[in-house]
Amino acid sequence: MNPLLEQFLSEARDFLQGIGEKLMQLENNPGNAELMTELFRFVHTLKGNSGLFEFPEMTRVLHAGEDLMDAVRHGQVEFSKELADRLLDSMDFVGLLCDEIEANGNIGAAHAADSARLAASLRQLIVKVESPAAVAAVVAASLLATLAETHAGQGEGERLPLVKIPETVRMDAYRHACKGAALHWLDYAPAEECFFQGDDPFFQARNTPGILWGGITTRQPWPKLAEPDAYRCVLDFHVLSTAPREELDEYYRYMPDQVRMIPVPPLSLALPDGKHNGGPMYEEFVSNAIGLLGKGRLEGLSRAARTLLDLSRPDLWLSSALRWLLLVMELEPENQDAFGALIKSLRHLIPPQWAELQPGLPGKTLEPESTLTPAEAEALTALLAVQRNILTLPIEASWQLGRIKAVASALSGCLKASGNLAALPGLEAATAMALNEAVSTPLLVWLDGALQERQQAATAETQTVQADAITRTSPNTEGQSKFGRRSEDVVAGSKSIKVDQVKIDRLMNLIGEMVVSKNALPYLAGRAETVFGVRELSREIKAQYAVINRIAEEMQDAIMQVSMMPVSFVFQRFPRLVRDTSRKLGKEVNLVLEGEETEADKNIIESLGDPLVHIVRNSLDHGFELPEVRLASGKPAVGTLTIRATQESDRVVIEISDDGKGIDPKVIKQKAYEKGIIDEAALERISDQEAVNLVFASGFSTVEVVSDLSGRGVGMDVVKTAVERVNGTVALESAKGKGTRIRLSLPLSMAVTNVMIVESDGQVFGMPMDSVVETVRVPRSAIRTIKNSLVTVLRGCIVPLKSINTLLEIDAPPIANAEDELAILVVRLGDESVGLLVDDFRETVDIILKPLSGVLAGLSAYSGSALMGDGSVLMILNVKEML
Amino acid sequence: MPIEYKNNLAVFSDVVSVEEAEALLEWLQKNASASVDLLACTHLHPANLQVLMAAEPVISAWPADTGLAAWLRSALKAM
Repeated sequence: MNPLLEQFLSEARDFLQGIGEKLMQLENNPGNAELMTELFRFVHTLKGNSGLFEFPEMTRVLHAGEDLMDAVRHGQVEFSKELADRLLDSMDFVGLLCDEIEANGNIGAAHAADSARLAASLRQLIVKVESPAAVAAVVAASLLATLAETHAGQGEGERLPLVKIPETVRMDAYRHACKGAALHWLDYAPAEECFFQGDDPFFQARNTPGILWGGITTRQPWPKLAEPDAYRCVLDFHVLSTAPREELDEYYRYMPDQVRMIPVPPLSLALPDGKHNGGPMYEEFVSNAIGLLGKGRLEGLSRAARTLLDLSRPDLWLSSALRWLLLVMELEPENQDAFGALIKSLRHLIPPQWAELQPGLPGKTLEPESTLTPAEAEALTALLAVQRNILTLPIEASWQLGRIKAVASALSGCLKASGNLAALPGLEAATAMALNEAVSTPLLVWLDGALQERQQAATAETQTVQADAITRTSPNTEGQSKFGRRSEDVVAGSKSIKVDQVKIDRLMNLIGEMVVSKNALPYLAGRAETVFGVRELSREIKAQYAVINRIAEEMQDAIMQVSMMPVSFVFQRFPRLVRDTSRKLGKEVNLVLEGEETEADKNIIESLGDPLVHIVRNSLDHGFELPEVRLASGKPAVGTLTIRATQESDRVVIEISDDGKGIDPKVIKQKAYEKGIIDEAALERISDQEAVNLVFASGFSTVEVVSDLSGRGVGMDVVKTAVERVNGTVALESAKGKGTRIRLSLPLSMAVTNVMIVESDGQVFGMPMDSVVETVRVPRSAIRTIKNSLVTVLRGCIVPLKSINTLLEIDAPPIANAEDELAILVVRLGDESVGLLVDDFRETVDIILKPLSGVLAGLSAYSGSALMGDGSVLMILNVKEML
Repeated sequence: MPIEYKNNLAVFSDVVSVEEAEALLEWLQKNASASVDLLACTHLHPANLQVLMAAEPVISAWPADTGLAAWLRSALKAM
């Protein structure tokens, strides 16, 4: 999973939590505009974030939520418990999606329908209503609609214009279905303005997976070429597909609200079609065939059908029916009812009513009451109760009629959905009475009666259902509008936490102290041996030290990991910077970023930002040529700027290279001379490589014209200082005409410094290992004096020597060892090596460098101090300042 | 050109994109008795289809692409 997505998920969880809290607070305090604004902002941001990814299901719901919140914020819709419920439900859904993304990296297309439904249910509430009763009515009505839909959906197969499909295609589909393929009828009604969004719905429809047949209809008759608007889509597409539902969901996942998928029972395809040829006249065949069927003589039946088929014209209704009969007999030999229905249909030339034949399909029996699942029955009872509540709410007279109408239509919908048609006239009478008198009492009376009835039915039902429910492990409840993520559920622990920087710093400090006190153990071991003479104990302490050392090191590493950040944190600003800058300069530059995932300490990464921006700007300003110049010199017009981060042991190396004109050492030398940075002798002496590095000298800027981008004299020297502040180094290589490469090398972490301890005049000093080149002992005779300064020759190179005592103004000569050899600590100073005369070398230790503070801060010879294991203070030398 | 206009006949070829719809509409308005040859057409944007459905020209040849032809017949055959 990519880091951006990870961050999105962690933020999304925070937002969801926040939205939930705010919603709950709002329930107690609905008028609070501040809470409302904050809630809106949460939803808004979350929606925006989700748009970065390919999660149309999530964005759709959030968008609807945002619109709703906006309406509430502007007082168009009043906040209500139902509204909060729906929003919470939607947020649960979003949470569910987040879980899925975390587990699988994407969202299954199966959620598209849920998403569309939730979005629609949220949008329903965005109507200009002013009383809570109205919102309640909308909620109830939609609940009803879903109830009705589930029922309607099942019977829909019958009403589809399947007969439009050519018989051969239908037969083909039927064969597929008998082999186990799922048949779906798709109604795809693209949005009217979809052409303007660059959609081609026809193409979309043509490429539906598993397509067997497709047809196009218009939504309205054409106005006779008057002024038809070719760019307003008024087409509906219809497709018969054998693809599994999931595949279709996936294919249409961006437009679930425009697509209706209806499962098609295979037999409903068996619709004979053709010329009637004067009406029914096949009674003889029919009675004969039914006789054969009754005796189970299928072969005889098939023979008879075939004979009749051969004798009839193929375009007759009769022939079509016979062909279907033969096909069904071939593929579903057990389904004798189907044969019967097909044969009987010949009597009246009316296609068989397949619905009555399929006991497997629910919702077809004449007593639908009993087909309500317990969950549905419960919903129905709840609905009735809601309607009752609506009626009892106090209301202004002007709203009364509307309310009665709304409730009445909701109730009649309820009755239709539950199949309780017998009760309809009673309701209508009550409604009429209520409307006449403009009071809700008649409806209330009716409702109370209905509720009582339901309760009786419910108790009876539960008794019968209970036994049932044990075997059927109620998956029904899952399929409802709740997404099952309420507070009682296990909260999916988020994988990342946000921690205050201060806390991390504290941990760093603590582990630092731990490292220091751990270092006290070897001293203790030493004392045990030398002072108390217990060798055994000394060894044990050392063994224990090894264990603690290992743990401490691991811990230090772990804590360092915590504050590590990928360099992408600084890199991410470059694409924009490069784009804008190069455009301003009229140059064409292609930026390549590599190794963005390389990690380093947060402080290091943060300190990198400014120097890098400087370097990149410099490169764009001075490095790259204008496109025409580049073409003239045989380079591609578009330059390439590469920023590459890599890790080399305990350092991060960042290379910024361009393929621009490079740096001309002659120009640099000349400039440096003019500005007085180097003298005439140096002008002759220094190498080209050294010359290009002069750009880091302070007060150096080569560009003739000061632009607003760079070249104000604060140039590369700023970079150098910034990098050196975090113990980094900068190196520059350049080839004239080919390009420039700048290499920044930085430590991974600043927390712990490895130093070498040296001794001089009885005192100990620390020298950062970064600058130590080697330690040597040189005979006093090998040390020469040239012009008052000491030098020695190491492996053929002259190394200037300085006495540390002199540098620190300690009045003592260096002490040689028994062989009259002097200890020389060779350190790196820029590109040169310098030897420091010390008295003795000691071990190297890890220390936590603390900068000097107070009056001591002025002592530039030291970069800081550290506490040693034995409690003493070690001063760390700053080589650069000292020499 | 995806649509070639000859005297009284518009010949479609390859993929006819959404940009063609306006010109097609204009042409069909001028040539009321025009006919359309779709033989070489492999796909046409629904905007064009709408124009054809509204203008009801004579279809002189159906697309060679049987899939497309079946779709178009469902939309245009009534005329």
